[in-house]
Amino acid sequence: MSNGIPLAEALARYRPDSDIGSLPELADTDTLLNTYHPDHLRDSVVKLAVGANTGDHCQHELAGLLQSEAFIDEADLAGTPVTDADVLVIGGGGAGCAAALAAAEKGARVLLVTKLRLGDSNTVMAEGGIQAAIEPDDSVQRHVQDTLRGGHHAGDPALVAAMAEDGPEVLRWLIRQGMQFEQTPSGDLHTRRAGGMSAARLVHCRDYTGLEMMRVLREAVIQHRSIEVWEQSPAVELLSNEHGQKCVGAVLTSLLDDQLRIVRTRSVILATGGLGRLHLNGFPTSNHLGATGDGLVLAYRIGARLRELDSFQYHPTGLLHPSHLAGKLVTEGVRAAGALLVNGLGRRFIDELQPRDVVCAAILRECSEGRGIRIDGQRVGVWLDTPRLERAQPGLLEKQFPNLMTRTRVSGIDPRIEPLLVHPTLHYQNGGAVIDTNGATTVPGLYAVGEVAGGIHGRNRIMGNALLEIISFGRRAGIAATASRDRGPKKVTLEHVNRLRRALTLAGMPLTQRAPRILPDYAAGGVWKR
Amino acid sequence: MSAILSKENENAQQPDVALTINGLAVNAHTGMTLVEAAWHAGVPRVTSVGCMEGVCGSCRVMLRRGKDVTVGLACQTFAEEGIEVVFMPPASAPRHHYEIGDFKDAWDIHARFQDIFPEASRCRHCHGCDSACPKGITVENGVALAAAGRYRDAGEAFFECVMCELCDVACPELIAPAHVGLFCRRVTAHFHLRPPNLIYRLEELRQERQSVALIESDEEK
Repeated sequence: MSNGIPLAEALARYRPDSDIGSLPELADTDTLLNTYHPDHLRDSVVKLAVGANTGDHCQHELAGLLQSEAFIDEADLAGTPVTDADVLVIGGGGAGCAAALAAAEKGARVLLVTKLRLGDSNTVMAEGGIQAAIEPDDSVQRHVQDTLRGGHHAGDPALVAAMAEDGPEVLRWLIRQGMQFEQTPSGDLHTRRAGGMSAARLVHCRDYTGLEMMRVLREAVIQHRSIEVWEQSPAVELLSNEHGQKCVGAVLTSLLDDQLRIVRTRSVILATGGLGRLHLNGFPTSNHLGATGDGLVLAYRIGARLRELDSFQYHPTGLLHPSHLAGKLVTEGVRAAGALLVNGLGRRFIDELQPRDVVCAAILRECSEGRGIRIDGQRVGVWLDTPRLERAQPGLLEKQFPNLMTRTRVSGIDPRIEPLLVHPTLHYQNGGAVIDTNGATTVPGLYAVGEVAGGIHGRNRIMGNALLEIISFGRRAGIAATASRDRGPKKVTLEHVNRLRRALTLAGMPLTQRAPRILPDYAAGGVWKR
Repeated sequence: MSAILSKENENAQQPDVALTINGLAVNAHTGMTLVEAAWHAGVPRVTSVGCMEGVCGSCRVMLRRGKDVTVGLACQTFAEEGIEVVFMPPASAPRHHYEIGDFKDAWDIHARFQDIFPEASRCRHCHGCDSACPKGITVENGVALAAAGRYRDAGEAFFECVMCELCDVACPELIAPAHVGLFCRRVTAHFHLRPPNLIYRLEELRQERQSVALIESDEEK
């Protein structure tokens, strides 16, 4: 795919005041999506051959990981140190911290383990805000409708209703934890209306909402006397009872000393986040380093049913240049403020405020039909015409998008003078583990919350629902996991691993690939030896 | 020449910067961050990396340029000729303990603060925290505001804090400024953020739930 207009030529042609032509009519959205959106690439989706979702469609690289061999077997467990906890939370982002705090509030002894550092997560990068229906002209019902419509009606109405009902209470809980929000002069919480919302519903802390949330929850977890935290401790397998039917713990490794550790528990809450760092279909990602889909792999192997495994959100405007920020977002706000997308011929090609999946497909169409701007053999993109925006509204970029300006300034780029090269970037996993309103998966003893869970966002997530979901369902699962009056496991086994291994063999599938992936290959130098 | 074009031309060249990461001599391209340089060279055990855009505070590094030693974030620092880089170990466990739910009365808060952070009033104004902060926060001033009981202003000073805790490392009095800052931000919200629109909606929802519960209990009878 090395066609496209060379960068030097496109730059020579580019003028912030040129005539960019009239917008071509968008004939048929479905055809555009079906032809160019990565979810619809014909070779990108396969049918699963083993496990709870046998016969379902799944993105092919993810399918490879779901249907793969484990890293450990029974022999590895002998002599491995064992720790007991009431509730084990796997993942140290917003969902994991909310779950741990809720469980601890209910009196559980909680162990929270996380692959990297507590707080290393996609939560910390969220800029936009958190949705909650608190304005007089808004209602929980409208929040539910907007969420279902945004998700192309593929979401589970019961889950969406549970989340939307929790919205105001979630804000109260966050404020009690010590999170600040933007206020109006009269002291109300300030709200914004964003894409897909029928009322102003986005509550925020400037454009650092995720950072503010994460540092408060992180501190609350660190300070809580009933929560123990193990960092640099990724889970490599879950543990089941002797029938392989119930989740009773997990096996962890350590990035620091490579030592395996067993945790025995009544309930496990998976809060491992998404999978952008798998770079599905070869895409760059906006996600943090640990987002490798490990929770999905562990859940599937122990028998949990998953959903929408072929649906991912690609954010239209990820940076293509500079390379160290490849895939990082230019917020949708820049397009909302009036920035246009322009191809290598200097022409506009799509209404920039169409839904994310449509804009994404249109950019990919330009790139594949030779109208993109080519940096080298691999990287092709389109212009996000920030200089034109600056000409139209002088000073706007500096005033409203300080985050973007700071990031590009470090690299010697000035978006007010040169346009930004952008390309769609893998942003969010729409689906995940099937859960009920307590966050319980189809496997007893196993809960899933946050991006690793599915059913809320259907096939497309709208802005501000991710931060709400992680707190709403994080707390629900923390409470439910603590309420379980199970006496705890008598025996911890890898029976479920044996079961999947037999199924793979029967299906004639190779046992060569091992999963979960702990870190992307390019970052794993010397870390993961098995 | 345009910035983007000259930058991309640079990247196409051979690795042209020689530096040291965790004691290993490595080569990198101009324009690579220290995180990229470490991965490019296969430096083992560089796992204190998170967001790669400067907001998670994980990739703390110590930097030596000649005799000049500083600290920073590896994802925000570019490879340069001759620089020595050491990825720092994770921060040790905090020494100051409190649970915000234990605070019942805002009138006591300054006494509680002094119990929890007794060192905060012993700042010796060495500016170590200020020069350690990769976000340019006026840390020392923030601590002084907190010690004077001005929690709202102190918290505002720490608005851009990414919890890298480099100021904690730099403080000879063990004040833990990052945690002081977060304490200030948290008590400000916990005691003073009372938004009418949210309170009104919460009460509406409570009354709805109550009437639904009443109807249900009537139906059972």
